[in-house]
Amino acid sequence: MEQNRRIRFIQGNEAIAEGAIAAGARFYAGYPITPSSEVAEVSSVRLPQVGGLYVQMEDEIGSIAAIIGASVAGKKSYTATSGPGFSLMQENLGVAVMAEVPCVIIDVQRSGPSTGLATKPAQGDVMQSRWGTHGDHGIIVISPSSVQDCYDLTIQAFNLSEKYRTPVIFLADEIVGHMREKAVLWEPSPDQIINRKKPTCDPKDYKPFKPDEDGIAPLAAYGSEYVFRVSGSTHDETGFANSKPDNADRFIRHYTDKIEKNKKDIVILRRFNLEDAEYAIVTFGCSTRSALEAMKIARNMGKKVGVLQLVTLWPFADDGVRELCRKVKGVVVPEMNLGQVIREVKRVNENNIPIVGVNKVNSEAITPFEILAGIEEVER
Amino acid sequence: MKERWEIILSGVGGQGLIVSGSILGEAATIYENKNATLTSSYGTETRGTFTKSDIIISDGDIYYPEVMKEDAVLALAQVAYNRYVGSLDEEAVLIYDSGLVEDVKASRAKQLGFPITDIARELGNPAVANIVALGIIVKLTGVVSPEAVVKAIEGRFIKKPRVVELNTKAFNRGMELVKD
Repeated sequence: MEQNRRIRFIQGNEAIAEGAIAAGARFYAGYPITPSSEVAEVSSVRLPQVGGLYVQMEDEIGSIAAIIGASVAGKKSYTATSGPGFSLMQENLGVAVMAEVPCVIIDVQRSGPSTGLATKPAQGDVMQSRWGTHGDHGIIVISPSSVQDCYDLTIQAFNLSEKYRTPVIFLADEIVGHMREKAVLWEPSPDQIINRKKPTCDPKDYKPFKPDEDGIAPLAAYGSEYVFRVSGSTHDETGFANSKPDNADRFIRHYTDKIEKNKKDIVILRRFNLEDAEYAIVTFGCSTRSALEAMKIARNMGKKVGVLQLVTLWPFADDGVRELCRKVKGVVVPEMNLGQVIREVKRVNENNIPIVGVNKVNSEAITPFEILAGIEEVER
Repeated sequence: MKERWEIILSGVGGQGLIVSGSILGEAATIYENKNATLTSSYGTETRGTFTKSDIIISDGDIYYPEVMKEDAVLALAQVAYNRYVGSLDEEAVLIYDSGLVEDVKASRAKQLGFPITDIARELGNPAVANIVALGIIVKLTGVVSPEAVVKAIEGRFIKKPRVVELNTKAFNRGMELVKD
């Protein structure tokens, strides 16, 4: 076995922690909650081994505050939680958006609302991950469907977070987080890792929110010779509060545009058997596995079914889904919620093809057979 | 060789079924380069209530990670046995702990009872009942090679030679229980 490539049979949550460390993260603050606790557990063991720091906080509000602080001090940082904790994090998530602080927030979704069923899966936080914190903003949300994804895409989450100076939400679920599966833990080379741009100007000239030509401002580290201010208030390029209408307009548009206008770089889609597909399943997260099984069964029955997996949930893959809806006769959208992603699919369905949701909120995974029933429904 | 094996390990919380499932998964993936998934269903209690793990092992890709058609079911408690005895078909094998399952019913599946926990106790620790059961499953199905399981046991308890010894003994004893 090569030294830089380990084959493991581990849980998705363990792979997330390993992926974070491989991406260069060295600070975790969190409050353990089922079904995300293994991210904390593994981080508490592994971070000190690589010179990092693990802190168990008093609650989730403190947890996200701590990772924002660690990130502006120059360390890649992350936290992991589930529904109830993710709800508590929403206000400070907005602080990370406003202050343009790179960090990764892992939400291993469980059945809600509120305490719900703590050990059972759901995919009910899709819209919360997009709009849970108040005010207009862009956000990147990535959803894994395998333990390998948990490793690979966590690295990608940190890379995008650093590149776009933004919080990234890693929207896993109980099934993927707790499932044990084969994963290859590969050591990324330096060119596979993105680190935030640092300022090169004279410290007295540094403006922490003045974008370069690529639209992103360099981020200095607290404790360096660059002294700067971040806060939740609307600010100008200097970081000081500024309440002028034209400044507010510019910055609020910036928070959205820096994500939405870079979809080509950010959005990841996976296409399975779509070349000749008459019907498509649009899916994400754990439901991808049921969708692929349904596709396999349908193909064996002679039905031309394909799958489009939304690895990136937000920004939404408008172009990819629009193109799909032009090509196929009908779409099925399985989700362990009552219909969140399907709203977005319908939004770009220009030809009004039939779109059917397969929705399940009883805490059990959607079965391939339930998706096949959905395909039969769109065929009619 | 079958393309996809679907195995359920069931019992009550605390019997080490996730550990034995993990050893089986490690044997398949790390030592035999197959694919495997292990998903578990459990309550908020840590011990005493029904729990099950689904293990899928395949040479090909595994999409849906839950059992759709059981090849083998292990029941280490009456509550677990009751859950499956009526629903399995002729092609499935139901392996139960004859010391813990007292009320044996008719089933379409092939049923095999072994005093699994009693044997583990004889070996020195009832906690290795899960590994005795693993030996039975591997011998009956051939889903992975015994050598791969022993390697997985060694890999998992690498710093504890006595634990390796006890678990290897338990695994071999389980294998011996099954007549060719």
